[in-house]
Amino acid sequence: MQHLDEGTIHSWLDGALSAEEAARVEAHVKECPQCAAAVAEARGFIAGASRILTALDNAPRGVIPVAAPKKRFDPLVWRVAATVLVVASASLLLFRDGGREAQNATLSADSARSATGPSAVTTIAPAAPNADAALKETARPSPTTARPLQAAAESKSPTTKQDNVSIKASQPSVGLTEKGVAKGVAGGTVTGVQAMAGAVSGVPYPGGKPSPASPKITAHENQAVADQDRSVTTGNAPTSSGYAGAAAASPVAIPPVATLPIAPQALRIRGAISRDALSGQTPLKVVGNPKMIGAKVTLYEVSPGDTVTLREELNLRLEAVVVTGAAAARQAPQSVEKSAAAARARHADTAVASAADSQRGAMESLRRAPSFPAPISRVDVTDGVTMISWVDATSGNTLRLSGRIPEARLRQIKIRLEVERAAAAAAAKQNP
Amino acid sequence: MTDVERLFRTYNAALVRYLTRRLGDRDWAEEVAQETFVRALRQTSIQNERAWLFAVATNLVRDEARKDMRRRKHLALLAEEERDAMVEPEETTLERAQDAAMARKAIDALVEKDRLALLMREEGLDYNEIAEALELSPGSVGTTLSRARRRLVESYEALQKSQEEREKNAAS
Repeated sequence: MQHLDEGTIHSWLDGALSAEEAARVEAHVKECPQCAAAVAEARGFIAGASRILTALDNAPRGVIPVAAPKKRFDPLVWRVAATVLVVASASLLLFRDGGREAQNATLSADSARSATGPSAVTTIAPAAPNADAALKETARPSPTTARPLQAAAESKSPTTKQDNVSIKASQPSVGLTEKGVAKGVAGGTVTGVQAMAGAVSGVPYPGGKPSPASPKITAHENQAVADQDRSVTTGNAPTSSGYAGAAAASPVAIPPVATLPIAPQALRIRGAISRDALSGQTPLKVVGNPKMIGAKVTLYEVSPGDTVTLREELNLRLEAVVVTGAAAARQAPQSVEKSAAAARARHADTAVASAADSQRGAMESLRRAPSFPAPISRVDVTDGVTMISWVDATSGNTLRLSGRIPEARLRQIKIRLEVERAAAAAAAKQNP
Repeated sequence: MTDVERLFRTYNAALVRYLTRRLGDRDWAEEVAQETFVRALRQTSIQNERAWLFAVATNLVRDEARKDMRRRKHLALLAEEERDAMVEPEETTLERAQDAAMARKAIDALVEKDRLALLMREEGLDYNEIAEALELSPGSVGTTLSRARRRLVESYEALQKSQEEREKNAAS
């Protein structure tokens, strides 16, 4: 009989063989030492395997967690939610306060302007500085930038009347307290663009004397300036020149009436005003205003059958203006430099504007302004539709102009739109 | 006594032990055993009760998703055990933990069929029952078991040897 295989030995030891087979195996193992050794080894394996497996019986409990009551929310979620709530609340408070500051700052800036004449614009940060800084400027106009420029302005348009206006206007403004500034928000913000416009274009302030009763302007301190502006904006040049100022000083975008929630929306195109501002061009015809959330879309007819679409991405945060102001406050030093540069540009424009005082001059000065035309950030051409994008310097909104026309023409339209928008912004200031 | 109660009282201990050895987790083993008896409830008749119960339990364990999840937990547990063993001053506890860890490694080293056959045999299933539960031919069970036992013991001894060497190196 041949030797037993291992499987048979285990089967025999496990009692799995029939009686006949078991007897045969048993007989062989008795005669075969080699198979007997194999059987001994198999017994060892069986015992050893059993012992090893017994060690597994000490398996611990609790590897599977007992079904724990489900938490409704992860604690982390609560923490994050609480953080968001706190930050949001704090931001709201901060921005609200900041909003007042920004508006105050605007007023202060206007006061500074009226106090020091046109050149005082240089002390205004492009985006609303904080109120304290602005108040300081109001109290003591920067002698380094303001005076030489003021002198220059006077030399360009040496009207005694203007000088008088400046002096008269400055009397109440310089004396503004912080409280007074707060009161003067409504009137103060109105004056921004126009005051600058007048300054830049070199047009004297014909109606510069404070008028005793201006029903729409609550802050009597600013009446003089407001009246000046009203007179100034009847001329064409200052309105478009004001664009340079508007670009340099975003606070002017704050709506003149404090109850208007979103400042950039004040920049609605007003055809009647913009018509005057354009150098001989008829304003673009608005043919539609599709409703869209988060954006203001305007369809213009540029030629019969040809339309372009201007899409203005609105910053829907109600306190967006204030946010801008807060950001600008941190950049105030740079802003002063930029403002100075803007003032220099306007100063250069002054000669042109005062010489001709025409629409053409206004356009020229607008083009020379450092931020005009606004740089195009993107040009896309898809399926024959050209789209150019740029950031509106006044509102900070992204504007997208698109149409099935060549890029060069679109750029021209863009410039026209910029002019119109600047004019409209100026008009909005005057007629809130 | 209902039929299921009889089945439970007769086979639960063996089934839980088999599953515990198979899975390394007593709770899980009990859970699977219970599920096995619940399934037995749905059967109108079972030819070989023990083979059927072990086969169903084995198939339940084969649920891959559960297996993976539990394996991860099991590995985490092993790691925890080893950490505990490191700080545990009692030698007996350390030895037991080491034995259990090595036994687990050794049994996991076997192929599935060998492992299950061995575990079933340890619970008293005869060759026919094992063959039925694992869908093997009865004649191959002896070979499967002999291979499983040899490999398990050899694997365990190898682990023991390497453990002793580590301890020796640590001591020197």
